[in-house]
Amino acid sequence: MRYVAVRLGLLLMIVNGLFPAVWLFLTSLKTENELTRIPITYLPLHATLHNYVAVFTANPFARFLLNSAVVSLAATLVCVLFASLAGYALARLRLRGRKAILTAIVMTSMFPALVMLVPLYRLFVGAEVPLLTPLFGYLHALGWGFLPTTVLTPNLLNTYWALIIPYVALSLPITTLILTSFFQLIPEDLESAATVDGASRVGALYRVVAPLSAPGVVTAGIIAFVNSWNEFLLALTFNTATTMRTVPVGITLYQGEFAFPWALISAAVTIGIVPLVLLILFFQQRIISGLTAGGVKG
Amino acid sequence: MARTVPTLPYRKPGFWRRLRTGNLSDGQLAVLLLLPALLTLAAVMLYPMLTVLWQSLHFNRLNQPFRGTPFIGLDNFRRMLWGDGLQWNASHLLWLRLVGLAALAPLAWAVRRRWLSRFAGVVLALALVLVFGYLLGFHPGAGGRWTDSRFWNSFSITMLIIVASVAGSFLVGLPLALLANVESRLRWLGRVALLLPWAMPRVFAGLTFAWLFQSQYGVINDVLRRIGLDGPLWLARVGPAIAAVNITIVWKTSSFVGLILLAGLQSIDASLYEAAVVDGANAWQRFWRITLPLLRPSIAVALIFRTLTAIQTFDIPFAMTRGGPGRSLETLGVYIYNSTLALNIGYAAALSVVLFLISLAITIFYLRWIYTE
Repeated sequence: MRYVAVRLGLLLMIVNGLFPAVWLFLTSLKTENELTRIPITYLPLHATLHNYVAVFTANPFARFLLNSAVVSLAATLVCVLFASLAGYALARLRLRGRKAILTAIVMTSMFPALVMLVPLYRLFVGAEVPLLTPLFGYLHALGWGFLPTTVLTPNLLNTYWALIIPYVALSLPITTLILTSFFQLIPEDLESAATVDGASRVGALYRVVAPLSAPGVVTAGIIAFVNSWNEFLLALTFNTATTMRTVPVGITLYQGEFAFPWALISAAVTIGIVPLVLLILFFQQRIISGLTAGGVKG
Repeated sequence: MARTVPTLPYRKPGFWRRLRTGNLSDGQLAVLLLLPALLTLAAVMLYPMLTVLWQSLHFNRLNQPFRGTPFIGLDNFRRMLWGDGLQWNASHLLWLRLVGLAALAPLAWAVRRRWLSRFAGVVLALALVLVFGYLLGFHPGAGGRWTDSRFWNSFSITMLIIVASVAGSFLVGLPLALLANVESRLRWLGRVALLLPWAMPRVFAGLTFAWLFQSQYGVINDVLRRIGLDGPLWLARVGPAIAAVNITIVWKTSSFVGLILLAGLQSIDASLYEAAVVDGANAWQRFWRITLPLLRPSIAVALIFRTLTAIQTFDIPFAMTRGGPGRSLETLGVYIYNSTLALNIGYAAALSVVLFLISLAITIFYLRWIYTE
């Protein structure tokens, strides 16, 4: 009896999690005509890959994929680099108030990302630089005429930088937390043994700690990648040029004012999910352990 | 004759030399390693937080540069609450406001004399403010000043989504976590099903469910039709649209709650259950007496993160209905985006400040709750 209940529950859970994606995939195989039949068909009558071709011809979807890949990978690399440096310092080095620093870093993840929208937009559009502009204005007034009176930030809208910079910051708290708790698990004796054997501190870090921390780095990297791949609001606001859109933003382009070409949209979404599904299939256990490191300690 | 070797005074190697040879002190190395992360966070998180406060006190419309960016105090916030047309009349119902203020004084006094706990004092003061605010006309509905305030609408829909989706994702996430923890041959597939909604971009989830909820050709209405029910026009009517968006949010976020709770479940010592079985406790008792109490920290973490993301709800209503029908699903996030899109930067900044204050209040509330437990 209990066995049946658990089986049934598991089945429900699988249907709940996978049905929307499966339905989307089935939709992407149907023709636009078949989608507007009543009663609706569940399995495609004439399965066709036409929609997948149309996705790439209707909009520069390959470009969206490239943009997403560049932005997400760059943000992931930088984020993991910064986070592992910080995580090592917080886990290993004798430093006053390191617990407070970790708490402060984690607390920034409670900070609503929406609030960044307006200030970062102003900064990226080419606004005055907070400290430099007044300083230069002052120096100019003192007679340093060769200096520019106003210092403006470069216009970063519609560049990769406009997304990479905030994405690094968005994933930094969680990755720092994951890597700090991971470094704490590596026995300190290994490192001191290497130092006794004549390795310098940096050498020990490079030869002993780095190889051992690879699993933690992979975990943090996956989470940073998923975060960056999925981000929508900042990408929508900062990169408005068609050729600079990421996949989530690009897909909203297919959606007209009144018409929803569902066959196209579902094909595009299916392509956009593929990297994430691959990550889930290969790194299931890593992702769960990474999320839980954040959950249990935070 | 003794040859004297000139002894050089010991000179500590300089900073860069010690850096190259890897001989920095712990503190120096730590500062060096922490610097990139802290600088990034300061530039992207701290700097916006401070400027947004400053911006919210200014008039700033990027499409009207000739008007400049004058300092206008709290006018953006006034516009939020009162709307553009209504001006606050200083003598309006003055006696009622004075009575309200006068009622606060004995309350403060009672708290000071320890007749009331501070908590009770705050709650009573809030209640007073609400009652007098209502009498003064600060309420939605007929005769209220907030009848057609766009801010009030987005504020209330955001609050509704917070309550409904946090409760919903917890009620769905807990069984998901329990099921994912059971040994079974299908467990890996169950875990994939648990991870997929988490990994799926919120926009994709919104688009997918917009298709599922499509009134004519969507699968949900088709199933309802087969049962013999008449499904509503999900995304074209206010009530059903709110329900549909909440269901989508719950689907998307319950997997995150489930994952956090799964971690909590895995950290519970199995011997506790064995001991309980020996003592003759049934499954229900084991769940209430062992699982739930020990799961408390994980539940708190899940609830905090869920609430803080629910405040920022933007992607799913935007993808499903663009905040419609009308403005019924214009959450605070969508409102901020729309104001930014309308290049009304000062007003968007003021809205962001409100959003920040709400999430700050909720964080403090949760933290107090955790620390008192």
